[in-house]
Amino acid sequence: MPPTIQFILNDRTISTDIPTGLLVLDFLRKYLHLHGTKEGCKEGDCGACTVLVGELRGRKVEYLPVTSCLMPVGELHGKHLVTIEGLNLPQLNPAQEAIVEEGATQCGFCTPGIVVSMTGYLMQADGPVTADGIKMALSGHLCRCTGYRSLKQSWMYLQQRPGQRRGIEALVKAGILPEYFLEIPKRLRAIPPLPEKAPSPQVVIAGGTDLYVQQGERLPDIPVGVLNLRPELRGIQRENGHLRVGALTTFEEFAAHAEVRRLVPDIDQYMALIASWQIRNRATLGGNIVNASPIADMTILLLALNATLVLQNGSAQREVPLAEFYRGYKTLDKQPDELVYDILIPLPPPGTKINWEKVSKRKYLDIASVNSAIAVRVEDGHIAEATLAMGGVAPVPLLMRRTGAFLIGKPLAPDTVTGAIEVAQQEISPISDIRGSADYKRLLTRQLTIAHFCKLFPEQIKARDVYESQ
Amino acid sequence: MAGWKSLKDMTVLSKPLPRLDGPDKVAGQAKYTHDMHPKGLLYAGLLVSPHPAARVVKIDASKVRRLPGVKAVLTDVHPTGTVRYAGEEIAAVAATSPEVLEDALELFEVEYETLPFVADIDSAMQENAPRVFANRPNIRDPRVRGEGDVDAGFARADAVVEGEYRTQVQTHSTLETHGSMVYWEGDELVIYDSTQAVHGVREGVAKFLDMPVNKVRVVCKHMGAGFGSKLQPGRYTAIAARLAKETGAPVKLMLTRKQDFLGGGNRPNSISHVKLAATKDGKLTAFYAKTYGTAGIGTNAGIRLPFIYTIPNWKHEHYDVFTNAGPARAFRAPGCPQASFVMEQLMDELAEKLNMDPLEFRLKNDSNATRQKEWRLGAKKFGWQRRHKKPGADTGRYKRGMGLAASIWWPGGRGTKATMTIYPDGTLDVKCGTQDIGTGTRTYMAMVAAEELDIPMKRIRPMLGDSNFPKSGASGGSTTTPSVGPAIKNTSERAKTKLMDLAAQFLGVPATDLAWDSGTVYMKTNPVKKLTWDELCQLLGTETLEVHGQWVEGLSSRGVAGCQFAEVTVDTWTGQIQVNKIVAVADCGLILNRLTTESQVNGAILQGISYALLEERHMDPETGTMVNANYGDYKILGAKETPAIEVIFYDEPERGVIGIGEPPTIPTNAAIANAVYNATGVRMYELPMTPDRVLTALEAHQFAGKED
Ligand SMILES: Cc1cc2nc3c(=O)[nH]c(=O)nc-3n(C[C@H](O)[C@H](O)[C@H](O)COP(=O)(O)OP(=O)(O)OC[C@H]3O[C@@H](n4cnc5c(N)ncnc54)[C@H](O)[C@@H]3O)c2cc1C
Ligand code: FES
Ligand code: FES
Repeated sequence: MPPTIQFILNDRTISTDIPTGLLVLDFLRKYLHLHGTKEGCKEGDCGACTVLVGELRGRKVEYLPVTSCLMPVGELHGKHLVTIEGLNLPQLNPAQEAIVEEGATQCGFCTPGIVVSMTGYLMQADGPVTADGIKMALSGHLCRCTGYRSLKQSWMYLQQRPGQRRGIEALVKAGILPEYFLEIPKRLRAIPPLPEKAPSPQVVIAGGTDLYVQQGERLPDIPVGVLNLRPELRGIQRENGHLRVGALTTFEEFAAHAEVRRLVPDIDQYMALIASWQIRNRATLGGNIVNASPIADMTILLLALNATLVLQNGSAQREVPLAEFYRGYKTLDKQPDELVYDILIPLPPPGTKINWEKVSKRKYLDIASVNSAIAVRVEDGHIAEATLAMGGVAPVPLLMRRTGAFLIGKPLAPDTVTGAIEVAQQEISPISDIRGSADYKRLLTRQLTIAHFCKLFPEQIKARDVYESQ
Repeated sequence: MAGWKSLKDMTVLSKPLPRLDGPDKVAGQAKYTHDMHPKGLLYAGLLVSPHPAARVVKIDASKVRRLPGVKAVLTDVHPTGTVRYAGEEIAAVAATSPEVLEDALELFEVEYETLPFVADIDSAMQENAPRVFANRPNIRDPRVRGEGDVDAGFARADAVVEGEYRTQVQTHSTLETHGSMVYWEGDELVIYDSTQAVHGVREGVAKFLDMPVNKVRVVCKHMGAGFGSKLQPGRYTAIAARLAKETGAPVKLMLTRKQDFLGGGNRPNSISHVKLAATKDGKLTAFYAKTYGTAGIGTNAGIRLPFIYTIPNWKHEHYDVFTNAGPARAFRAPGCPQASFVMEQLMDELAEKLNMDPLEFRLKNDSNATRQKEWRLGAKKFGWQRRHKKPGADTGRYKRGMGLAASIWWPGGRGTKATMTIYPDGTLDVKCGTQDIGTGTRTYMAMVAAEELDIPMKRIRPMLGDSNFPKSGASGGSTTTPSVGPAIKNTSERAKTKLMDLAAQFLGVPATDLAWDSGTVYMKTNPVKKLTWDELCQLLGTETLEVHGQWVEGLSSRGVAGCQFAEVTVDTWTGQIQVNKIVAVADCGLILNRLTTESQVNGAILQGISYALLEERHMDPETGTMVNANYGDYKILGAKETPAIEVIFYDEPERGVIGIGEPPTIPTNAAIANAVYNATGVRMYELPMTPDRVLTALEAHQFAGKED
């Protein structure tokens, strides 16, 4: 018997004991016949199923758009689920109006999801509407008809409307959100937490963005553990000498954290190349690590940052360096019942420079052909420390130990880079697949290595010189 | 029969009006086939073959039938029992819930005798390759077209270029998959279908099921796009109808995303061996092409060469090649994007050889008068003169380049009927058995009537997407607007005539003494004697006025010409291409609605970029099935990659309505390919121009990533 969960769907309170692992999308469409939320792919790639999920943060409720096709109903307990139906007012809201007026809907199948994301964007209390902001809001949506141009133009239209990006109250006041939103914090606080019971799940779900794509059909039928009901697995702290990052921290939370931004100054640029807004709102670092894809973007970054995992089983904890966690293709140094609890990122010595690169077929919202990250420190013109990680070139996300070792002590000069590339080519073992041929991946290994050094040391290393030293 | 009003007299038509169904769409209230949920609905699904070639020896459905919640099972849905592509329907089941349906589909036990197969065109063309159809070779007899004396043409040329170009298989990938929801009312079948042809589906399904056409009704109020993939009746519809018959319940059968990729249609690939020649003053003298294309198990994989050019001596041999893959279907401008990729690059190569500007070279060889003006107009807007004279001139990692290409299209309007019902309260319905596939048909139906009758749009209820309405053709070939627009105008005019007759009777004067202006009928000799629209309609008393009209010659025309200019940036470190800007000159005749027309052009360009850079069906040579049958691996361009797009309409209202939806997708890929060459000096002979292809090509030319 699954536990009874309680949440608010638009303005109605729902108590249900449907299977915890059922998809929110299926719950909406097949159980409640709320058909405004569309189904295009069930894999997180089209955004037609986008909904908002609101969660209490202190006294406020914060809303984020997510793809309902990758989210378990069980996780909704104590949360506010908003579908297109819950946004409708007697008049069109500005996002809706912008789409109608700009001619940004044709067949319209993608449209409700887009309205939800755009409204979700307006609900972020953070400065004026910008073209880039609208682009981010659209980043997780496929529209096969309109050509996006009119959608993108809508930002100018939205910019002129008052009350936006200044919080829920301002939006309600401006007639942009329905009034019932004002009562939601109170109503959510009234929902009691789920009783702690010792679950014996067959699978644990974090963001679900890998799990549901891989085994979506199976999950509603089996006992699942919803990690997101465990707040202790979230959050980032600075402790002596390292950052302690909860395994459930999402990509967006990670990138927004001040300590992380200090450590990895260009993180926003990297994020723009990773998944979509909706997916980044769900995808967790722990899931990225445990899924063990050889091209996991965050894992590659964490490898270069020398991260260590804290694994927990019951009350027992142990630490494993991330680089030693991978034993072979999708095999891990992890017991079935063990959870990745925290990720420890050592704070590098001052002067350490970090760079991350990714090449994929589609620049945005695509899985890498090859990705790579590096952390380097140069002292007196010589490389004092270097950690290089590469994805897509081996059965596991690869820490390039030999290449790193080669670099240390060498002068910062083009032929050092050339030498490193030679070692790297020995260290990798790419295979041909849908993301490119083995030869292409070798080519990218060279290109990304050069890119790291050219970007981090533009004065000392020029691409042309590296080639000439070959 | 009067023509269209002049542009300056129009108050509704040709204006940029938001679509009437916009508010429903943005509110999630527009109901698609996928959303239909009548009481007692059963969920149906298809079991499809995992094998690309096999004989179905036995289907054991006993476990399926025993599963509680399963209401009907069909094991005879495949017409021959010999499967020719992975994804073909083998069996079907209807169940009480989606969960039961999923379980049921797992319980079929099918015994296949697998057969050898050919997964792609190259293996299909090999000697001794397994045959797709036992009694026919994989390579069909050629279709040969041409004129003049090709050998002589080449002999007198001063410059010749030749090469091999390849384009990929592209899938339609509409956001709503194919599917139907059906139910029976006695012996009458009602079908809600995601379709581009309510009448076509009605006729097709009646044939499949061997029933009278008038007992089938097809409805489609909203559909999640088609691009040509939903022009035909689907076998799934007939299957759903049989399941519904057997169970006495409504049945919904939507293809899964994967099934849609495998069997929902595609644009054929092409392999072109081509040769083009010109004299040194830039006149084309000869063209020769030998081309191959696969439409899977289907035919019509042709490529429209020599594209837009008039060449005195040319010959084109085309061979369709069968492969064990889902059949192609019409896809936005069939045969044309492939042709522009080949021909427009070949033209650039030849221009370079002749030391001539590509634009100048085209002006010398393009016989279309409209396009002659469009080339110049576009070049000016785009800033063609800023183009690097020498390819690869930018120094540094990122290299910019510019390219251009032409478009063309043929069909215009054709038979379409419509009915108008006018009510005594002054409101009216316009009915037409066409459909709105996202193109804005509904909206301009009301606009045409409003313009003709000079009454407010809100009084008009445009009704479409129902085979009970007067017949109109499939929404394909960019024929809908030039067909439906004139039909509504004709119907409105006839309504006007009838109302004038009524007014004449009432006023006791001959109708010839009356005139119509701004929704009012008045006496020519005594204008104060008049009847307003409301007064006119009141004359109907308790009756309604039914008027029938149809498409007539003279309000639409055939033939479209256009051109596009592209600016790209190539990242020579990674091979990634970014399209910065597209300027499109679109030949548009009389535009009915500027907003929806512009949206069509934008969308067509986006699809063109997506085709140029990303989309490609990958067949696994081992299993013979599509490996990227999902949106995660079949990449489609997104909002962040959308370039600046400038659409210039080349208005020719005197030509009446022409089709606009397809032509602007034709030149985009070639304009980009030419721009990539201009940026890098490296020509891309294969689509899509993915980073791996580009980087590998740059590497072969020894300068991948060699500049900062
Ligand atoms: C549309 C789309 C785009 C994507 N784009 C990218 C991209 O650009 N880059 C990229 O790297 N990835 C991408 N992904 C993949 C995915 O989002 C990431 O790998 C993500 O980090 C997975 O995290 P999750 O929390 O969703 O994991 P889940 O799917 O919940 O879990 C993945 C696996 O990890 C296990 N697990 C999760 N957390 C823990 C834990 N704390 N302890 C033990 N086991 C755990 C689960 O049991 C499961 O086996 C994309 C996915 C989608 C759907
Ligand atoms: S259905 Fe496509 S993202 Fe959810
Ligand atoms: S309007 Fe058709 S998919 Fe966006």
